Amino acid sequence: MIDWKPNPYAVAGLAMLTAPILAQAKIYISSEQAQQILFPNKAMSKSPIIISDDLQERMRTASSIRHPFQGDRIWRSADGGWLVIDEVVGKHEMITYAVALNARGSILGIEILEYVESYGYEVGDPQWRKQFVGKTVNDPIKLNQDIQNIGGATLSCKHLTDGVKRVTVLYDLALKSTPIKSK
Amino acid sequence: MITRCKPLLGTFVEISVDQGARQTAIDYAFKAIEQIQGLMGFHNPSSELNYINRYAHHKAVDIHPWTAQVLHTAKEVNRYSRGLFNCGIGHRLVAAGLLPRHIDFTNHSLGGIEDICFLTPELITSSRPVCLDLGGIAKGFAVDMAVKILVSEGVSAGIVNAGGDLRVFGDTPTPIHIRNPKNPVELLKIGSIQNAALATSCLYFAKRDQQASHLINPLALEESEIHVDSTDSYSILAKECVYADALTKVLAISKQSNHPCFAKFSAQAIRIAL
Repeated sequence: MIDWKPNPYAVAGLAMLTAPILAQAKIYISSEQAQQILFPNKAMSKSPIIISDDLQERMRTASSIRHPFQGDRIWRSADGGWLVIDEVVGKHEMITYAVALNARGSILGIEILEYVESYGYEVGDPQWRKQFVGKTVNDPIKLNQDIQNIGGATLSCKHLTDGVKRVTVLYDLALKSTPIKSK
Repeated sequence: MITRCKPLLGTFVEISVDQGARQTAIDYAFKAIEQIQGLMGFHNPSSELNYINRYAHHKAVDIHPWTAQVLHTAKEVNRYSRGLFNCGIGHRLVAAGLLPRHIDFTNHSLGGIEDICFLTPELITSSRPVCLDLGGIAKGFAVDMAVKILVSEGVSAGIVNAGGDLRVFGDTPTPIHIRNPKNPVELLKIGSIQNAALATSCLYFAKRDQQASHLINPLALEESEIHVDSTDSYSILAKECVYADALTKVLAISKQSNHPCFAKFSAQAIRIAL
């Protein structure tokens, strides 16, 4: 038998080579959970909005976010509140988040649904992002689930702040004037 | 474990609790952090902190008991670190474009945390104008407060992590990773901690985002010594996060893992050098 001891440098090198570009992917809550947290015990109805080019452009100017806004993840509560799910795509991160607004457009709360960190260029690539669509905390992909607690330099949430701004712009430009559907 | 995450204190704050815990316990903990942000945030011009910066040298200022606690701790760490920790460096961060300019301090000789004097436990004054930034230490305090609230709400185990300032509570040891300062994508497992806090200071994100160093040497005599430059990662393990955060500055500036101040606060230094 050969007593083989791996050279630690070789192993480290191998780990570097095989390490996925995806450094961290955390899925905190689902969109259903976000609804329950931000609008507890309230019935929400889906109210997608068609984002015209003009609206898209105005949101872009106001928030400095270039990644287009998808209008299909918007819900409304019976008392006129709004829940908007959006994502910000930065150079190193992609964050899916939910913003709850009351009927007057004030922010009731913000929850992060997913946080994906990468140092490749892939974050900007919609094909790459697709792999996370519909994944949940319990998904077999097990997104680095054993690594939950990370210490390190403080990560700024500036991009997300820009994202929240774009949701408030959406409210001012479109949601505010949407009449409550009468049944 | 259930984990929720909110953008607060300029970073991402994660709260994890055991499965059986009530959602309201997490809500209360986040509410407290929000309140601390409202009191001690530098970015919000109407925070209590900015009120102190504006008026404490003119008149006695009545402050919230939480702000008082943070200032008290800041003074304590300042004293034992012989000035290496000083949160009176807000103007340096403003000058570097890292914080917004709310007050014009030109033509003023600015003091530091040592100038803050407690007249009563919640009434302070300052012997000189000050530009305090409680950024780090208030984040540590917020983590401690969130843990206190979770425990009082009956949560038996959990983790609060405010962008790298983290605290673990409960009966189970929790594995902790620290980012490798050379390659922040890579995580180094440093072991498990139980009922303890760990705070880390490092410049890799600042460098990545081409920002000036936020590590300020309050004792700098020369202009060139103000912003501390380093590629190392500095962490402090302590019982409470407020001390852990404040002491990372002492470690990063002194670069001494055995600075006497750490023993005083029962803290351990972890320096990852390259």
